[in-house]
Amino acid sequence: MAALIRSLGARIASAALTAKHVVPAGTAALRLSSTAAVDAKAPEKPTIRKPDAAARTSLSDFGRYVAECMPKYVQKVQLTSGDELEILIAPEGIVPVLQFLKDHHQAQFTNLVDIAGMDVPCRQHRFEVIYNLLSLRFNARIRVKTYTDELTPLDSACEVHKAANWYEREIWDMYGVFFANHPDLRRILTDYGFEGHPQRRDFPLSGYVELRYDDEKKRVVCEPLELAQEFRKFDLSAPWEQFPNFRNANPPAEVVEPAKK
Amino acid sequence: MAGREAVKRAVQQVRPILSVDRDEARKRALNLYKAWYRQIPYIVMDYDIPMSVEQCRDKLREEFVKNRSVTDIRVIDMLVIKGQMELKESVEIWKQKGHIMRYWKESQEPKPTDFLSKFIQGVN
Repeated sequence: MAALIRSLGARIASAALTAKHVVPAGTAALRLSSTAAVDAKAPEKPTIRKPDAAARTSLSDFGRYVAECMPKYVQKVQLTSGDELEILIAPEGIVPVLQFLKDHHQAQFTNLVDIAGMDVPCRQHRFEVIYNLLSLRFNARIRVKTYTDELTPLDSACEVHKAANWYEREIWDMYGVFFANHPDLRRILTDYGFEGHPQRRDFPLSGYVELRYDDEKKRVVCEPLELAQEFRKFDLSAPWEQFPNFRNANPPAEVVEPAKK
Repeated sequence: MAGREAVKRAVQQVRPILSVDRDEARKRALNLYKAWYRQIPYIVMDYDIPMSVEQCRDKLREEFVKNRSVTDIRVIDMLVIKGQMELKESVEIWKQKGHIMRYWKESQEPKPTDFLSKFIQGVN
């Protein structure tokens, strides 16, 4: 019971904190959160993270603002279930959007944490390139996503973020996405003479070639891979459910609608 | 009207990688070939490979002829970019002898083509 009261107090305090920031919805938020605390007797699933409503509203407001500022490039704004803001942009808009997020006084996403790639071969534009940004000033993170295919070059973000240099080399090496205007685009992870891009979904797990030291030639030679049949079959299906706790989890992403005029 | 729509769908506007027309792509490929051709004596000398300059030039020609049927400008550009990167890796001696010798695939036996040798090797 004491724990319940304590959690109730914490909830009201947090609601009051949010009320300080969100002035118009203050009382409503307080009432909502207090009722939620009362019927909190329902069995909780601690494995599923509760969405933070205050963070979500401020993030979606910011996402809407970005979409209003750059209507030419921003195609969609969404919030993930982990309360992260994602901005989906057209591939032409990488440099302007990153520059905007970096230089805008209310954003200051000056830190490029990572650039990730994603490959979904069934799509028309099969590669997704994901820029993770961090604003040290506002302690906020944002994710900018764009798309491309095997032959369409993307603009390099090096002129905006110096850190993009090696990340883009990695994307080039792993997925074969070409970055135009990159100062030094070459392989970074694979060996010289390696053919193919290993993170593509159609690249086999075992690769195409194997290396071995040849005693006669006194050097390493490269040969096409030959695997015995039993290693070639992978049974990836499992008879049990992998994550039963996440069966009714929050939806993976929720679209932030643009503001109505 | 329907025909125009079909053409619009078939001819897709794409962003070029480097070249905007076939002549430019061809010129880039030829330039790459020439650059490789001129660097081959130095590569042979630097890496001390057991191949003559002529053999290397034959191999160079073979590697280019392998892609002769490619017609898409962007694919040509991508191949040229990769070839350029490979040339740089060779010239700067980032590669090693084994990497250069990989082009000849010496330790690989050619795959059997006629029935009897396929049968003997157990391949079909």
